[in-house]
Amino acid sequence: MTRINQGTPAHTIVETLRKTKGYYITNTARDLSQSDFKNRILLHTDLMAAESRDKAGYFSLEITGGASIHVDMLRKQVDPFLKLKKLREHMPKTMFQTLCRGVNLFGYRPYPQNVIRFTVREFAKYVDVWRTFDFLNHVPNMHAVFEEVGKAGKLNEPCLCFSTGPEHTNAYYVAKAGELIDVTGRDITLCIKNHGGLGTPTRIGELVDALKQKYPDVPIHYHGHNTDGNDVGRIVEAVKNGASIVDGADFAFTGFYGPPPVLTVVQTLKEFGFEAVGLEEDAVIETSEVIRDQRQYYEQFESQIKGFQPTVQIHKLPGGAMGSSLEQAAKGGFLDRMPEILHKELPRVQKELGNYWSVTPGSQILWTTAVANVLDGERYGNPSGDLRNLLLGKYGPFPFYEPEEWIYAKVLGDDWRTVLKEEGGVEKIADMDLAHERYSLAEQIGTEPTDEQLVLYLQHPNDAAEFFKFEHNYGQAHVLPPSIFFRRGGFEIGENLSFRDYHGKEHMVEIGPSPMNDTGEASVYLIVDHHQSIYNFKTKKAEGPAGAAQELNKEEILDLAKAGDVRSPFSGKIVEISVVEGQEILVGDRVAIMEAMKMQTPVLSEIEGIVTGIYAKKGDALKPGGKILKIDRNE
Amino acid sequence: MKILVANRGEIAIRIIRAIQELGHEAVAVYETPDEMSRHIRIADEAILLGDGPRCDYLNIEKIIRAAKRSEACAIHPGYGFLAENPFFAKACAAAGLVFIGPTTEVISNLGNKVIARKIMAEAGIPMVPGTTNLKQGKEGISEALAFAAQYGYPIMLKATSGGGGRGIRRIESDAQMKEQIPVARAEALAAFNDDSVYLEKVVINPKHVEVQILADSQGKTVHLGTRDCSIQRRNQKLIEIAPSMIKNQKLLDEICETAVRAAKAANYLNAGTVEFLIDKDQNYYFMEINTRVQVEHTVTEMITGIDIVRNQINIAFGKPLSFSQEDVQIRGHAIEVRINAEDPKNDFMPEGGKKVSVYRSTGGFGVRLDGFVYQGYIIPEVYDSLLVKLTVHGFTWDETVGRLKRCLQNFAIRGPKTTIPFYENIAREKDFVNGDFDTSYIETHPHIFYYDEDTSEVGKLARLIAEIHYAKENPYAA
Repeated sequence: MTRINQGTPAHTIVETLRKTKGYYITNTARDLSQSDFKNRILLHTDLMAAESRDKAGYFSLEITGGASIHVDMLRKQVDPFLKLKKLREHMPKTMFQTLCRGVNLFGYRPYPQNVIRFTVREFAKYVDVWRTFDFLNHVPNMHAVFEEVGKAGKLNEPCLCFSTGPEHTNAYYVAKAGELIDVTGRDITLCIKNHGGLGTPTRIGELVDALKQKYPDVPIHYHGHNTDGNDVGRIVEAVKNGASIVDGADFAFTGFYGPPPVLTVVQTLKEFGFEAVGLEEDAVIETSEVIRDQRQYYEQFESQIKGFQPTVQIHKLPGGAMGSSLEQAAKGGFLDRMPEILHKELPRVQKELGNYWSVTPGSQILWTTAVANVLDGERYGNPSGDLRNLLLGKYGPFPFYEPEEWIYAKVLGDDWRTVLKEEGGVEKIADMDLAHERYSLAEQIGTEPTDEQLVLYLQHPNDAAEFFKFEHNYGQAHVLPPSIFFRRGGFEIGENLSFRDYHGKEHMVEIGPSPMNDTGEASVYLIVDHHQSIYNFKTKKAEGPAGAAQELNKEEILDLAKAGDVRSPFSGKIVEISVVEGQEILVGDRVAIMEAMKMQTPVLSEIEGIVTGIYAKKGDALKPGGKILKIDRNE
Repeated sequence: MKILVANRGEIAIRIIRAIQELGHEAVAVYETPDEMSRHIRIADEAILLGDGPRCDYLNIEKIIRAAKRSEACAIHPGYGFLAENPFFAKACAAAGLVFIGPTTEVISNLGNKVIARKIMAEAGIPMVPGTTNLKQGKEGISEALAFAAQYGYPIMLKATSGGGGRGIRRIESDAQMKEQIPVARAEALAAFNDDSVYLEKVVINPKHVEVQILADSQGKTVHLGTRDCSIQRRNQKLIEIAPSMIKNQKLLDEICETAVRAAKAANYLNAGTVEFLIDKDQNYYFMEINTRVQVEHTVTEMITGIDIVRNQINIAFGKPLSFSQEDVQIRGHAIEVRINAEDPKNDFMPEGGKKVSVYRSTGGFGVRLDGFVYQGYIIPEVYDSLLVKLTVHGFTWDETVGRLKRCLQNFAIRGPKTTIPFYENIAREKDFVNGDFDTSYIETHPHIFYYDEDTSEVGKLARLIAEIHYAKENPYAA
């Protein structure tokens, strides 16, 4: 039994995989968290599991990357680098794995080359296995990452994003694998990235077999999701046909859209005579025993709809986007339209847009377009900025065929041929001035940022800067267990909370009364380590913040826009106010950019005139009908 | 027997404790803004003097009347207010009350800088070159310019009746001298009802070293060793240590002996402090004698084990000192910091008017607290900003600094900003830790002003918990 330990050179890892009979398992804790708990599993819980996970003998622990870098800072208030360092302290043996979106890194749109290289270099200090993909399987989009991972001596795991349909043949994937190997060489693990959990067990078995026939010395890592409840079947066929590594998760937390339980995979494959190399089943079981009790605190982040979704074979949404899509539907009040969106419109849009792979950021484009098509009534009538970019080829070429001309016309306008000619093609993004970015971050946080802070800032400028300020004010909040950090509705008077601080010291906080002062301030009394502390709060204002307004419907918003009163067309965040007060604008000029569901959409002026008032600012979250700005019509 | 304490705040409590320990009863007095003050609760009796502020604590007649009414037989003036007012001592004697302090004559002589300098000069005590009272008008100015020509600038222009850092200005040129003498006179007249001024040569960046004296009515005068009060801001002491860190025992012994000689020359009675400046070349110069118990007397008590206030009372009642100079042993080191309700970052702006929402003090071996505030106390805006004096004692200097640091970390005062984080920085600062500081310390170490108000990890997290609790709709669970 050969366990592969952290620190092993990439070449030795691959050699070991080539020689070893049996298969290895990756614990995809991050993907589980993202698919079934909206990425909210806290470092606190991962640290509880750390010791037994390290003992279990996994090939790797997939614990960072994807949307987690963003959510770590935005919601979990933990530094993604610190997370890796703390876990490494408790997990000396296991390799850490990331999921990298190639040119999109850990964000949603392409980054300049120098940012990509800088980011990979910093993360490669802690990450041993780099699973890298591109949603169009466009290999040049991954070049820079491959190179930097190689330079850092870490293991490249390029992905073949997998989907189904007439174009998705073995021949296509074998050829694509060849394209990848031409760039990376053969000391890699090649990932079949089945983010939707698509296809039958037989289909996956055939694909693995085809790849192994052509590239017998390249180890295959099969990654799947259990959305239809049948990923164990696909895993079995993958291993039977020669896959070296497969993905699973701790059974105490397995849900519906993430990976299947490790233990089920191991037990099933035993029957076929395959042994999980280096795996200690007792430690796998122990991990779930240790963290089982914590699951109750994450219930609020589980999907609105419970149960497997075998219809994923129709709509093809990736497991990582299931939870958030259903949440948007619930919040947007269109859960009842979901059958139509998921089972009719989404497959139709998918086909119309070239049958590419439904994974970030491509999955968001498909989803947003399908939702808009159904809710607005007019198909492609309200295209997002990202759909426009897709048609312009900014992300890369369509893999199989281009959309029909009428779609280009709808999205790019009647002169779409000219637009395509002038603006089309893969976006060449100029390098950023990192010294300037460093300076701008220093200005915001008041101290000289570290390289790691700068990397995080380059990924998500606003949210990273906000997070650093949070860290300064509140310290290392990741020490709080989910029972405290995620508590809703306040605590009970007399409730005792305990936690260990960053340095390992145990603290006790007892909740006291929260009286209202005559000054209109409320006080919260806490007994902190036996001593009373008082925290004063200004009572909440009855009025909402600027930009808040009654929700308006689409017609009302359009009517107002024609009167020069520009409102938010949907529920989203202001990314940019594109004009200044006093600026003259024409019909169709962009006045702001909004972001919702990870997609950016321009807000265009309906009239010609002068901007006379700006009510919203960058970062404001607006409801449909929230005030953005005012334009006075030219007389 | 009853003794009236004509003071407020921490020193009133310090004195009340000594009175009660001697088996007597203590009578407190107070002004209306002080009605929440703890010294009133601790005393056996308390008498309201009036609405103040400050004027009733300074009203000799009202205080004598309060003593009579409560049938007290003696008055302890503490420091500040009437402590060094010869008329008060005189009024006490006239009313048949024992004044716990020096005689009227001593207070009067030593309170006048020029007479004091004359007495000391006659006794051969080394002094900073200086003038007698400058003559009025043009004559005085030419006298001053002649002095400057002889000794050079900078020169201190001092109000003869000033003290406690007030009525002092530094003069750098002839032009400034001409301009400032009339200004200083006008100011002194308003503040001390005496417009006389004199000059003194400036000793550049000296150490401020003082000697605690006790003298009984039998003619025995002993010293209790030295204190260093060099760490000051604008002549207001912030940190005091005992004994002086000067590594020249012979010099320190000589200073102590000189202090005893100075006290004897002044016919000194009761507790007093002889202040000296020591320059870079270890020359020492007499500055003044303070005829009161001082704020920083606690550090001397810690290293000698002698209760100065108790001895003050005994001396005032004519008892002889129960020990001789040989019995006075200096053991270890002591540091006192004045924890004030002030914002050091904002030029030590007082934080009066604020409520002490949390008050958590420290304790343990070698720790002494002299304070009067409590959780829920609202700091009156009309008095000084001293909340509590923290005095630590240790066998070695390192131990003492370590204890100071620990105690400051243990302290938690919320509501007003305090000098605690500022002192924490000093307790970590290299020169202080090495015992190397003079009166320029604060201005030459500006980085001690850089700190965050609340740096404890648990304090930050508790605030987050309070927010999660208060928000109800937890933003992190949204």
